[in-house]
Amino acid sequence: MKNTLRLLAVSMMAGAAVVSAPVHAFTPERPLEFMVHTGPGAGSDVFARAVQGLLGKTKLVSQTIQVSNKAGGGGLVAMSYLGEKKGENHLVAVFTGVWFVNPQIRSNAKFTMSDLTPIARLILEPAVMTVRADSPYKTAKDFFDAAKANPGKLKQSGGSISGRDNTIRQLLMKASGADWQFISMKSGGERVAALLGGHVDMFVMEPSEAEEQIKAGKIRVLATLMEKRIPSMPNIPTINEQGFKVPEVPQARGFVGPPGMSADAKAYYVDVLTKLHATKDWADFIKENRYEDGFLTGPALDKFVSEYTQTLRGILKDAGVKLVR
Amino acid sequence: MEMLTNLMQGFAVALEPMNLLWCFIGVFLGTIVGILPGLGPSATVALLLPLATQMNPTAGIIMMSGIYYGAKYGGSTTSILLNVPGESASVVTCLDGFEMARNGRAGPALGIAAIASFIAGTIGVVLLMLVAPPVAEFALRFGPPEYFALMAFGLSMVVLLAGKSMLKALLSMFVGLWLATVGIDMFTDTERYTFDQIELFDGVQFVVVAIGTFAIGEVLANLGNNDKQQMFKVPKGLRNLMPNWQDIKDSRFAFLNGSLVGFFVGVLPGAGSTIASFVSYGIEKAVSKRPEKFGTGVVEGVAAPEAANNSETGGALVPLMTLGIPGSATTAILLAAFILWGLRPGPLLIQDHPEIFWGLVASMYIGNIMLLILNLPLVPAFAQILKLPGYVLYPMIMGISIIGVYSVDQRLLDTWLVAFFGLLGYLMRKVDYPAAPLILGLVLGDLMENAVRQSLMMSQGDISILYTRPLALVILVMTAAVLIGPLFRQVAAWRTKVADQEA
Repeated sequence: MKNTLRLLAVSMMAGAAVVSAPVHAFTPERPLEFMVHTGPGAGSDVFARAVQGLLGKTKLVSQTIQVSNKAGGGGLVAMSYLGEKKGENHLVAVFTGVWFVNPQIRSNAKFTMSDLTPIARLILEPAVMTVRADSPYKTAKDFFDAAKANPGKLKQSGGSISGRDNTIRQLLMKASGADWQFISMKSGGERVAALLGGHVDMFVMEPSEAEEQIKAGKIRVLATLMEKRIPSMPNIPTINEQGFKVPEVPQARGFVGPPGMSADAKAYYVDVLTKLHATKDWADFIKENRYEDGFLTGPALDKFVSEYTQTLRGILKDAGVKLVR
Repeated sequence: MEMLTNLMQGFAVALEPMNLLWCFIGVFLGTIVGILPGLGPSATVALLLPLATQMNPTAGIIMMSGIYYGAKYGGSTTSILLNVPGESASVVTCLDGFEMARNGRAGPALGIAAIASFIAGTIGVVLLMLVAPPVAEFALRFGPPEYFALMAFGLSMVVLLAGKSMLKALLSMFVGLWLATVGIDMFTDTERYTFDQIELFDGVQFVVVAIGTFAIGEVLANLGNNDKQQMFKVPKGLRNLMPNWQDIKDSRFAFLNGSLVGFFVGVLPGAGSTIASFVSYGIEKAVSKRPEKFGTGVVEGVAAPEAANNSETGGALVPLMTLGIPGSATTAILLAAFILWGLRPGPLLIQDHPEIFWGLVASMYIGNIMLLILNLPLVPAFAQILKLPGYVLYPMIMGISIIGVYSVDQRLLDTWLVAFFGLLGYLMRKVDYPAAPLILGLVLGDLMENAVRQSLMMSQGDISILYTRPLALVILVMTAAVLIGPLFRQVAAWRTKVADQEA
């Protein structure tokens, strides 16, 4: 008993000595797991590995980090897995748009984003509207006018109809009153190839990918789809500047924990990510990949989660996707 | 001339001791994962992604590509020895490879697979080096209607895969086509035949069906005859464990056919090495002087798909290096590696980073030689496995099969499915239905359905889009030729028969 008391006193003094460093009630005791809902090489996987690399480089996490791929079921496998790890403090997952969409369209999705523990939103991936370099369309209006003149003739390539490409198409169609086809293709490679090969007229690309194609003279950007101009493409007007009111729905990526993750653990991840966000390495990472800083935590994040869910809900409805809850 | 200088510089990069070492590590790991069924090159490349991103890009891409093409070498081993397709592209290799093993020619089969891999791997690199930009531009002309035609061409191979009964082959293919519809439909986001199982959302995994119908089916079919101790003949003497001159002569055309088909199919982002291996096997059989022997263990039936499978690697790197578009699962991970290195592969990659492209090309020449040296001595050793008595060999095949399918996605459901397809394979064997057309239907069904629906969306329901575009038309004419071919042969045979009777 006496020994225990002495130990307690010593440890309290030790605690007082390092008070300048933040003291977490939670520190990881074993390797952390970053789970992604896709196979290796896809957007969320690359993102998770980049964060893993940067956390290692900046030594913000004392434990090693493993990236695990729980692919399948269009993201549902990963969501269910996370949902069932109630109270687990060493596991977080990368969330993205599909995490908001799935519970709304799949009857066997057991968890929504608000059942889980959102930790932080980190980046927004802007999108740009692209056509082939030899296309007659120079502005978004040219494209919309052509689509109006030939209803259903123009085509856009993209993923599944509940995916992001179609979300953007729905918004653009609503704002412009034009109508065009959406051709689903399985892999990203096929979608770009369909544009470059002239089989479709328009494709929504990420800026970093678009820049390489612009440099090579393969494509042209009609409009950027964010509220502000994209820094690396200062001469290209946004869709709003071109007179079409399109709300910004960028691809958001961040981290989410299992349901019932302890408040201390959540605070720990928020703290680590806040520190990472402040480093120069992070700023470089965002700049290099042409992302936008989308850092959100706490109440602002919760607000985003509920708003984003509602925005996507409206879009899915417009797209004719059957909603289940 | 400029190319020679570039290539010389590439060799200077690839021959740096560290790069040589990484190349060796890559091809060595590749060989191992290739031999293990289930765990494929894309999973292995992904596992090493964290390591590779710590390396410099040139060394990293040399190592990761080494795994990619190295795995293609090993893929045939279990197909030939155990009838367990090591990876999707090795299913066709089972057809004649396992029959060769049954005839006591496992060694020559393994040997010819290694030689075909080497020749095709090298031809693939030569083509990558010489014609990458124009071929990539040509591949862009493939839109949905062209893919539909290509898939139709692939499906027409069923007439060449059919054994005695065309009807049975067609039925088997239709089951495969039906299986291909399982999962979430991309166009409408509705579930088809998923029975509310999340695991079935992505469809029935091809490897599960292939291993079930081929390997487990084979084991079950052989359980009845346990009277013999050793199931296979393994001839003595090194000479009988290696391909002889006649084997190589018989495979000459197959080497070339497989290499070209594999490369060009590999360039297309929406196709894949499995299709390449089926098509090259079909072509080989169509032009062969002894088509009736296919499926009983002919050496060119092993050489053609193995060649196609290996030169596909060179092809798949073409769109990645020249357009920044990944053409396969593995190249998608290579693309991710580039992004993590802070490089963006695009149309200017070769121009901006010549050391990466030319270093890779040179390392692939070296890597293929390493693989040949690594694989040929293994042939006699592997062939000895077949000396095992049935009561050891068959449980081993079962174990390898179950571990193999589980290792793909770590899903328990897949082990149940492999058992189900094993039973199906057993029944099909008993009533003499061929399994290869089922696999063909499963692989092509999904791609073909997507292509036809995309085409019809493009034309707003006008079906003429499928046959009015010139490239699509050419492929459809080829398809018709394949379908009509056997009819002519039958008519000719019938006429000679009639003529004989009249005489």
